[in-house]
Amino acid sequence: MTKIDVSDIQGFALKGYNFPHARYLLLELGEAPAARALLRKLLEVVTTGERWEINNKPMSTVNVAFTYKGLVRLGLPLASLLSFPLEFQQGMLARGDILGDSGKNGPEHWDRVWREDGVHAWLAVNARSPEALQERTGDLLQMMTDTNGARVLQPQDACAISIAGKFSTQEHFGYTDGFGNPDFKGAERDCVPGQGKLTETGTWEALATGEFLLGYADEAGELSMAPIPHLLGRNGTFMVYRKLHQNVATFRAYLDEKQRQYGGGKEKLAAKFVGRWRDGTPLELSPDQPDRTIVADNERNTNFTYGDDLSGTRCPVGAHIRRVHPRDAFGFHGGLVNRRRIMRRGLTYGEFVPEGQPVSDRDERGIIFMALNASIFRQFEFVQQQWIEYGNDAHQGNDKDFLLGNHEGKGRFVIQGTTDPQNPPFICGGLPNFVELRGGDYFFMPSLTALAMIATNTVDPR
Amino acid sequence: MGNVSGGTYGLTILSPIIEDDRLDICHSMELRWYLSQLPRDYRSPFAQLSSTYLARLVVMDDVVFVGHPACQEHLKSRYLIFETNFDGDLDTYLRRMATETQEFVNAVWKHCVGFPGTADPGAFIGYMKKCQIETTFFFADVNDRTVEATLDALKTQSALAHFMEKHQGMPAAWLQREFGEFLEKLRQAPALRRGGEESRDIPQEKRRHD
Amino acid sequence: MTNLNGKAYAMNAITPMKPWKTPLLKLLFWILGAVKPLQKDLKNLSFIHFARWVCVGRNSFPRLSDEQPAEELKYDYLIFFSNFNGTWNQYIDAFSAVLYHGLDAIWIWSEKYPGSRPVTEFKRYISLVQFDTDYYYNVYPHSATNDVKAALRVQDALAKFARTSQSLSVGEFGRAWLEFQVTVAPDLGTTGIAPVGT
Repeated sequence: MTKIDVSDIQGFALKGYNFPHARYLLLELGEAPAARALLRKLLEVVTTGERWEINNKPMSTVNVAFTYKGLVRLGLPLASLLSFPLEFQQGMLARGDILGDSGKNGPEHWDRVWREDGVHAWLAVNARSPEALQERTGDLLQMMTDTNGARVLQPQDACAISIAGKFSTQEHFGYTDGFGNPDFKGAERDCVPGQGKLTETGTWEALATGEFLLGYADEAGELSMAPIPHLLGRNGTFMVYRKLHQNVATFRAYLDEKQRQYGGGKEKLAAKFVGRWRDGTPLELSPDQPDRTIVADNERNTNFTYGDDLSGTRCPVGAHIRRVHPRDAFGFHGGLVNRRRIMRRGLTYGEFVPEGQPVSDRDERGIIFMALNASIFRQFEFVQQQWIEYGNDAHQGNDKDFLLGNHEGKGRFVIQGTTDPQNPPFICGGLPNFVELRGGDYFFMPSLTALAMIATNTVDPR
Repeated sequence: MGNVSGGTYGLTILSPIIEDDRLDICHSMELRWYLSQLPRDYRSPFAQLSSTYLARLVVMDDVVFVGHPACQEHLKSRYLIFETNFDGDLDTYLRRMATETQEFVNAVWKHCVGFPGTADPGAFIGYMKKCQIETTFFFADVNDRTVEATLDALKTQSALAHFMEKHQGMPAAWLQREFGEFLEKLRQAPALRRGGEESRDIPQEKRRHD
Repeated sequence: MTNLNGKAYAMNAITPMKPWKTPLLKLLFWILGAVKPLQKDLKNLSFIHFARWVCVGRNSFPRLSDEQPAEELKYDYLIFFSNFNGTWNQYIDAFSAVLYHGLDAIWIWSEKYPGSRPVTEFKRYISLVQFDTDYYYNVYPHSATNDVKAALRVQDALAKFARTSQSLSVGEFGRAWLEFQVTVAPDLGTTGIAPVGT
């Protein structure tokens, strides 16, 4: 049984706060002494993974992560810097060939702050109310002024979409998100069936801690590559940040057009793209209609496998959730899947426009996608390159993920079916880019111990 | 038989490369240079050797030293490795090499010891068999179709998907007629080019963010 | 990168074996070939077009003339050739994760083989014993073995449907066409350029 020290790990890495408001301050750090002074102040307010008591949840949280350039600016010893994984040292912009960040996803379309590749730190406030967000941000800005430790290049706000006066986990295309985040050993929350890995007996168990935190054994029984010295990496993790712009008008138009030819109707077609009905009901469990009771039940809403549906007649073989979490679809007891999981912490940004109302692709709206994993190369980059922008493992050739693929107008998505006229085979061609990348980078999220070492310039070179 | 899996033959050839200290540019280097210039797509001599699936040529300089306590040792010659996977029988393939791709065969194997040339196919076949290494274990994922049948299937798959997409929702009578025409067009459509066309694929090194 | 052609990667690896171990390896391969579990797993993994192992005995390096010096070697050599799909890392990760028994059974006879787990050590060994291809030809560079198998299934289904369809009435055709589409729908992935090697 892995015991992890939750007071040493940043809360953002250990749990989803589920606060509806967020502001991500993208920083340029000052000279090393000033930047470290800022870190010393931040240390007092950074939110850890410690459990909150029922009525004692904070109104806002603070977390911080650094790009490689940021760590260089902070004056880490060269030996430590060089010991970071290669992809982190290069940063996301340089890895564009692997990620498929070309054409409409290319850096020339990114927000300036990302295009200029100068972000040193991500300082995140998550808050329960706009007032708490403002107050906390104000505090942080004051710290920056007092120490001269950083300046804000760009703030990025995000906010959960509100439906009928309540915050939801819906995103701009109308899909309810937030299922299927991996469980790992030592995390405080209960293991939800469907989120961990499949055992040979068909039950679900938590993944190895080392898939998501550095310094612990991963699914292959090894330690993921972590910086030296040991304490610098331990209890830390890597975060991938990607601003995903959503072309809502294009999506709605495409769905409206194709559903006219599709025998199952509009909502079913939308479900086939993803593998869940828009309310979150998994197609595998309820192929004919959405079912609120399944969605509301954590024991069921992500508890399914594809073993009985290898030809994709319930959930298409290339559907989004099947691509990114194949479960048992590849056989071999999940051995090809368990080291490819990522922990997601996304939040929508931009104004939500309900269906039926005019909407433009040019408006700022989308998802701030953040993924946490112990190895960016082995986990996020692999999923992005092999399972999103390519389809060979899903036996779909070069076909890309319907929602996220960089289709450039030529994409194709095949829906398998049966002779039932409500569930026919169907081909969606001419796919445009429903989602476009607007920038991002790779970050290292240190433990509290590591943060203190960096802040006091006591990282020991070797 | 180790070399055969279903209808596919797995040939492994090790040809010793001539060592000649008197030369400015040794045989192995000239050979490497030639191979680096040889087209790898539809213009490849292996596209001409139409029963070939996947083939490689490797100049093996030496064996490997894996570290103490293993001993370090060296080969006295360099070897040209030729590994190829093709339909049909060995003799036919080797004969076609000698008669249909002479320029390539001569340009490569002239650097090897004991090469008799391609003028006498029988002598060439004999030479290659002297250099052949028996396969101990051969795995072929697909071993029951010819190259031609496989390329035909790939052409069909692509055309069919396109046809299916364009004809979604059409009435059956029209569809039946269109389908008949589709089959006819498919029969007449040119075969996929063996080896592809490299100039149309962006080479790995040249891909950029645009 | 000369090891790559389209979606296929040409890997060559050579490992030394003490000569007394070679017959044991050959016996193992004979068993694996006869009993067929290795072949089944390899087919299910669906990463490899063709792969082969050849044992070159220390006295079996071809000698074509008296001028060519005879080799004087202590070890026999196991040479492995693979034509696989996917990246180098993906390929080795997959084998280490799911076919480690088979890999270990084959390479345990080679000197200093560290085992296929842990995978990092295994990758280091492979890097040491792998040597690069100078020229690689691929008849279908846009097709992985998955694409090939899917295409063959589609071709077979189409041939069968084409044989029967022309004589059907319109109503019968409509139904048969739907059934046909259902059959081929899992196998219609597009073919094309491979992702960048990593």
